[in-house]
Amino acid sequence: MKKLFYSSFIFISVFALSSCEDVIELKVQDGVEQLVVDGWLTSKYEDQIIKLTLSQGYFDNSDPKPATGANVIVFEEDSTSHVLLEIDNSGEYLLPKEETGFLKENGQYALYIEYEGEAYAAVSKLNRVPPIDSLSYEYFEFPFAPDDSAATEGYFAEFYANEPAGEGDTYWIRTKKNGELINDPTLISIAYDAGFTPGSGTDGLIFILPVRQSINDGLYVHGDSIHVELWSTTPDAYYYLLQVRQESSSGGIFATPPANIPTNIFNLNSASEKKAIGFFGVSGVSMFDAVIDSTKARISD
Amino acid sequence: MKIRLFILLLLASSYNLLAQESSLSGYVRDASNGEGMIGASIYVKELKTGTQTNAYGFYSISIPSGRYTLVLTSIGYSPLEKIIELDGSQKMDFEMTDEASVLQEVVVKAQREDANVKSLEMSVNKVEMKTIKKMPAFLGEVDVIRSIQYLPGVSSVGEGASGFNVRGGGIDQNLVLLDEAPVYNSSHLFGFFSVFNPDAVKDVKLIKGGIPSNYGGRVSSILDVRMKEGNSKKPEFSGGLGTIFSRFAYERPFLKEKGSFIVALRRSYIDVLAKPFLKGDLKDSRFFFYDFTAKGNYKINNKNTVFLSGYFGKDVFGADFGFNWGNSTTSLRWNHVFNDKLFMNTTVFYSKYDYLIDSDLSNENDQDSFRWESNIENYSIKPDFQYYLNTKNTLSFGGQSIYYRFNPGQAEAVSGGETRSIGLPDKYAVESGVYIGNEQKLTDRISLQYGIRYSDYRYIGKGNKITLSTEGVEPGERKNVADIEAVESGELIQQYGNWEPRFSANVSLGGSSSLKLSYNRLAQYVHLLSNTTASSPLDVWTPSSNNIKPQLSDQIAMGYFRNFDSNTYEASVEVYYKKLYNQIDYVRNADLLLNPAVEADLLAGDGRAYGAEFYLKKNKGKFNGWVSYTLARTERLVEGLNNDDWFPARIDKMHNLSLVSIYDTDKKWTYSATFNFSSGTPASFPTNKFLWQGIALPHNYYDTRNTYRIPASHRLDVAATRKNKHAFFKKGESEWVFSVYNVYNRRNPFSVYVRQNEDNFAMTEAVRYSVFASILPAVTYNFKF
Repeated sequence: MKKLFYSSFIFISVFALSSCEDVIELKVQDGVEQLVVDGWLTSKYEDQIIKLTLSQGYFDNSDPKPATGANVIVFEEDSTSHVLLEIDNSGEYLLPKEETGFLKENGQYALYIEYEGEAYAAVSKLNRVPPIDSLSYEYFEFPFAPDDSAATEGYFAEFYANEPAGEGDTYWIRTKKNGELINDPTLISIAYDAGFTPGSGTDGLIFILPVRQSINDGLYVHGDSIHVELWSTTPDAYYYLLQVRQESSSGGIFATPPANIPTNIFNLNSASEKKAIGFFGVSGVSMFDAVIDSTKARISD
Repeated sequence: MKIRLFILLLLASSYNLLAQESSLSGYVRDASNGEGMIGASIYVKELKTGTQTNAYGFYSISIPSGRYTLVLTSIGYSPLEKIIELDGSQKMDFEMTDEASVLQEVVVKAQREDANVKSLEMSVNKVEMKTIKKMPAFLGEVDVIRSIQYLPGVSSVGEGASGFNVRGGGIDQNLVLLDEAPVYNSSHLFGFFSVFNPDAVKDVKLIKGGIPSNYGGRVSSILDVRMKEGNSKKPEFSGGLGTIFSRFAYERPFLKEKGSFIVALRRSYIDVLAKPFLKGDLKDSRFFFYDFTAKGNYKINNKNTVFLSGYFGKDVFGADFGFNWGNSTTSLRWNHVFNDKLFMNTTVFYSKYDYLIDSDLSNENDQDSFRWESNIENYSIKPDFQYYLNTKNTLSFGGQSIYYRFNPGQAEAVSGGETRSIGLPDKYAVESGVYIGNEQKLTDRISLQYGIRYSDYRYIGKGNKITLSTEGVEPGERKNVADIEAVESGELIQQYGNWEPRFSANVSLGGSSSLKLSYNRLAQYVHLLSNTTASSPLDVWTPSSNNIKPQLSDQIAMGYFRNFDSNTYEASVEVYYKKLYNQIDYVRNADLLLNPAVEADLLAGDGRAYGAEFYLKKNKGKFNGWVSYTLARTERLVEGLNNDDWFPARIDKMHNLSLVSIYDTDKKWTYSATFNFSSGTPASFPTNKFLWQGIALPHNYYDTRNTYRIPASHRLDVAATRKNKHAFFKKGESEWVFSVYNVYNRRNPFSVYVRQNEDNFAMTEAVRYSVFASILPAVTYNFKF
């Protein structure tokens, strides 16, 4: 992986020959406000929140308006319902941790939302997730300082987990560095089986090297804490996240044409003009914690 | 069918014109190095008729016995006037002298430099290598593909993008031929440089329309690059030292001047210079690109000549994680003169493009690695005949058969010591064509070229036949794989056949002007899958199949050609309309690499392109060059995209203005400047943003495509060449070339896009991206001795 870094430096220096990016003013056509669903239930024992907001003009950088007064219900396969209550007109709908016990492996769940006379729904499934076995890190030094980070030396970490046999499992790897989630959309780490894509034939392997190392954002230093979570997802969540990453990393010579990010939220009245966007997912989660200790670093090769 | 009948009738009528005539045939060569001259014109003064040499320098003309004055002309050469006594059929070879090497000699007034008005060719542009070498070059590296982008009707998606676009066609819709073998990726370093070594290139011809029936296989254009044959008079070394490449070429005659050869090598040397500055692991890093070009020819006797040419090029990047790609072509050609009227060339070629990605080049890590390769390979035989029937008719006929093998991707992943091979099965196809065409002088004023090509394509096993289902699939979405059937070796999976009529006419309007008209239909059976703004070296070529229909195009073009001031200036205006069928587009999130069912991710649509091209060129004098302006539109219609409405294609540029000027002083210096202005390419932007997990995400409520334009680009480049008397030890000649790219330091936008703010992912901003954002000066030293 170190080598990968070096190579990308060479690549970048070739392109950086004289290329540049300038932030500019741009006027775009305004669209129509839509309901946005941001909801992801997990098997973690904690309060779970489904957030409803309204979309806004692309360059409108004010806080989004909450979608208040909605009825939000999660259904189990046998139609058992769990009503989520809104927290103080905030557009945030709460499922208290005491009530999350119904979320089980292989369970299928439906989200139902009633908002301004329209009814929306989405379905998802809680898939299996393997445990994370271990985490290791090795000392690393950049050949020259990366422009956005002060640290030119530190530790490069990787996690180990065995992907279970059986094709078509998908994952989302989420990492907290010193308690803060690495939320850079261009760094979204997703896996299809133990590799990156459906055609990669990596089913049943240890997650491949670049996936194992996708928990780094810059370098870790002595004393930093790492908290890695492995989330199982449904294949449509994998494609959703893939597109989120793609649309966030666009630009440059090899950019793909922009496309709308798919949503799994549908209006129960398919004839209705009103469509919602966003995503509803359910995940099983396994996690691993470590604190970087320079004396325990793996010997570099 | 009507067209076929029409052609048969015309052919039959031409046979009636057979008269008892003698013929004069032979070769026209360059006096300085013995290279066969392409497209030199031979004019018989007394009869006011003439012909042109073919791609091998051969000509044949049928005229009654008698005494004639022949005038030979070719741009850049001194006209040659010869009085001949023709008594029965005769062979006669001529040699022409470079204009520049004629000192103060009384020059015969040129008679036939009006080829662009008189010839049947339209929508054809030739740029002399001499001119290309004088034009300002990017980082001082003379580049064929960059130079042709100054021609009318030719553009690219942006600075630094690979390939070129002709009249609304994609980069894979140009048939790029190097000595008749196709080149699948014409770029080094992602598109910054083209693969042709200027020291080994003799002639470059771009055909945008009125494509004769002997060409087929791509729907937009033909770029016919011919390599030098090698100096058959004396040994010669030439080379140069530039900012990027160092070049070296050697050519010489052998076996008593019956044969000659040329070998030319280029290599980038930035890595060599950088080496002392790299430490540790970086010491092993490799980043270079090179190409090797070689060609030899041997004249067995007056009737038989053989040529063997080869090209091998590679780009290599990486320290330990490596990436390389390259083309190689080999072609063997046999020229045979059956008699003074029948000329044959048979080409056998092999062409390959491949790439490799390896995470562990030095094989240090046996626990974890990834290795992936892909290639396209083909073998072909192509006999072409030219029959100089009589003064009024020249027939051409022949065929071609190409055997393709596609390797869409073979990968090996090792994780924790366990290995997995992911192989996509190879794909096989055979593409064949037969054609016949005639060039006919109907009357003094009207000449015609017409012909027909039939192409046959077979997608064959061994392989997988994938059946797709659109049940429950919205248009524009990924299709479902309904069935995968293993097909035995050689078994037919899908067959396609297409009649491709070709026609062009030249109507002389008297004086030095003419009106030209052309129509052609073209079929294309192999496609480059590329969903990025500029094509990347990783893009995979894929064959037509039961799910991918061949691309077709119909083009009509009309042009007015006129020369002024005794052919000092040539001018033309052309308009064209092109309809494209079965154009490939992609579903959202298309997975084009290592995808066994990649066909499910493809969409098919129609395209249309139309425009007007204006061209004014000054051929003679110390000050020469050209101005070209293109007004054009290129659109696509794909079900499932842009609400099923037409949208501008990503290569669409409405205005494109180019200026090329060269000033040769009598003394040591030559100055040149090029300027280009082009409209911005289209772009799509979101209308809305929505917040998800603290990240601002884009959403286009109307789901439209390419409704915006990025700002226009313009750029001025200049160069000065200083000729020295000698190269080394008072021998040979040499020159210094000083060039400046982007003189007034403009940041031309390559793209404009939107993104989240780096420090706060909930905030949004727009960004303009420029590939080159500074002045780039360069110095090159060239020598020859």
